[in-house]
Amino acid sequence: MKTEDQLRASLKELGDLKAALDEHAIVAITDPQGRIRYVNDKFCAISKYTREELLGQDHRIINSGHHPKEFIRNLWSTIGRGKVWHGEIKNRAKDGTFYWVDTTLVPFLDEEGKPRQYVAIRADITERKRAEEQLEASTKEVRDLKAALDEHAIVAITDPQGRITYVNDKFCAISKYTREELLGQDHRIINSGHHPKEFIRNLWSTIGRGKVWHGEIKNRAKDGTFYWVDTTLVPFLDEQGKPRQYVAIRADITDRKRAEDALNEMNSELERKVADRTAQLEAANRELEAFSYSVSHDLRAPLRAIDGFSQAVIEDHGPLLPEEGQRHLQVIRSGAQRMGTLIDDLLTFARLSRQGLSRQPVNTGNLVRSVLAELGSPWTGRPVELRMDDLPSCRGDPVLLKQVWMNLLSNALKYTRKREQASIVISGIVEADELIFFVGDNGTGFDMRYADKLFGVFQRLHRVEDFEGSGVGLAIVQRIIQRHGGRVWAKAALGEGATFYFSLPSTPKS
Amino acid sequence: MNEANRIDLLLVEDNPQDLELTLRALRKANLSNLKIARDGAEALEYVFCEGPHTGRKITDAPKVILLDLKLPKVDGLEVLRRIKGDPRTKSIPVVVLTSSREQRDIVESYQLGVNSYIVKPVNYERFAAVVRDLGLYWLLLNQPLNGD
Repeated sequence: MKTEDQLRASLKELGDLKAALDEHAIVAITDPQGRIRYVNDKFCAISKYTREELLGQDHRIINSGHHPKEFIRNLWSTIGRGKVWHGEIKNRAKDGTFYWVDTTLVPFLDEEGKPRQYVAIRADITERKRAEEQLEASTKEVRDLKAALDEHAIVAITDPQGRITYVNDKFCAISKYTREELLGQDHRIINSGHHPKEFIRNLWSTIGRGKVWHGEIKNRAKDGTFYWVDTTLVPFLDEQGKPRQYVAIRADITDRKRAEDALNEMNSELERKVADRTAQLEAANRELEAFSYSVSHDLRAPLRAIDGFSQAVIEDHGPLLPEEGQRHLQVIRSGAQRMGTLIDDLLTFARLSRQGLSRQPVNTGNLVRSVLAELGSPWTGRPVELRMDDLPSCRGDPVLLKQVWMNLLSNALKYTRKREQASIVISGIVEADELIFFVGDNGTGFDMRYADKLFGVFQRLHRVEDFEGSGVGLAIVQRIIQRHGGRVWAKAALGEGATFYFSLPSTPKS
Repeated sequence: MNEANRIDLLLVEDNPQDLELTLRALRKANLSNLKIARDGAEALEYVFCEGPHTGRKITDAPKVILLDLKLPKVDGLEVLRRIKGDPRTKSIPVVVLTSSREQRDIVESYQLGVNSYIVKPVNYERFAAVVRDLGLYWLLLNQPLNGD
């Protein structure tokens, strides 16, 4: 009776244990052939099969195909030898979804030691597996990124004290140090000494405050050569917000820096050259100015003496001199005066290159009329037929343009002097991008074969006895017009008059 | 004012030929009450009553000064600067009579307060006419500020 009670109590305990197990775990029992003899509710729930669909089947019904044959074989051989098997298995539910179970397979043996049945106790670990898979996937991604970064950049990691704890191959390659030489050192090992203390201090204070630092650094390799790296320093902080480690990512910019240096060198060389040339030019200009100052001042004084004392002789001693002597003194005087004019004209011409242009709107008609008035128009002493068309207004330096018209019109008057009826035409044409003015006369003209000499300084096509002049007037015209961005030219025939043209750009460049 | 101590004209000229020609022209215009200075230093000594002219009264100023620019020792622009910069002498009319047509000389002379700027012509008749006209204008026509 006592035994029966004890048995009943044991059975009750067993029933309780089984109930507790069923409550907690996925349980199945199979026979030695692997056919399912028992499944609990949890097994049905996770596999989504009914008990009826499962009983009598073997475990292939929930095989996911995930595990290699080797894995399955090892499982069967373990439990076939009467040993407990433990592992993680991926199964396939009725609806095609997968689930993972942590599985313990316990073989129960008969009297001959052969497996009588297998009890499988499983726990659902699908969630854990999914998290693991995700973790692995993101770990793999990080690994891939790191590999890509190592492929692309120069990477080093230092501890908070600045000691190098990691360098990649590129770091070793560019610094020419081995990894063993670098690890444990701080970055002073590659310090070039190029950067001021302030620069380095700023770098450390930036990353010390947990901020990213970015800049260009010149480093020194083991063999003493220098290289430039574009550098990003990223501090990683611990829970207290203190830097835990620094990751330095660098790109080799030595070639770019070298190109920049070459460019800077070239630029400063160019600036030096420009400064030199400017200084030379200024010196030459000063010399020219001193020269024309001397010409202006010192060369005129002796001429005045020659002219003045010749005149004094004529005035004081004229009656004592034979006529020929008096004439000779007059020749001396006119020579001196002519040289005075030459000097003045030459100085005017030289000044034109130095003087700045003051461009403004010019009423050409008014300008020409004032020049004609200065030249004595209307001329009472000689017959001059003057035709003046409406002249387009222009932009230019009024003083210089007046000089142009003065020279051209006085030439026209001069070279028509021997005509019974002088005829002068003044006109202007508006072209697409320039204005063309011209002065035509019916005077002596010139041979077009010598046209190229017309605008040269001191070039004359006529004898002084026929027509006075210094040979500078047309050179002045050309210089002024060229400085305005225009051209000068002439058409003529010997004995049939001449026409002088000049152009001015209608929209002058400033 | 003591008219006997007062000259009409101070001629500042270093070039002997120009000096002779100028004097010839002035003489022809009957202008002979003048003083000659052969460089800038002499001119300043006269105007400011220094050196050989110590004792002369600065108020007995010439009626006009004809001043060349290119002068030994002290150049004409400096002479002009000193005369026009001194309240005692700045009202003395100064005419620059020079060979220089240089724009910067002309500009600087006017900035310093010159009363007239004349370029000496090479042609003697014109030179003589200029000197005569200058003399007549400044000595006869111009009404000076009385030094008293």
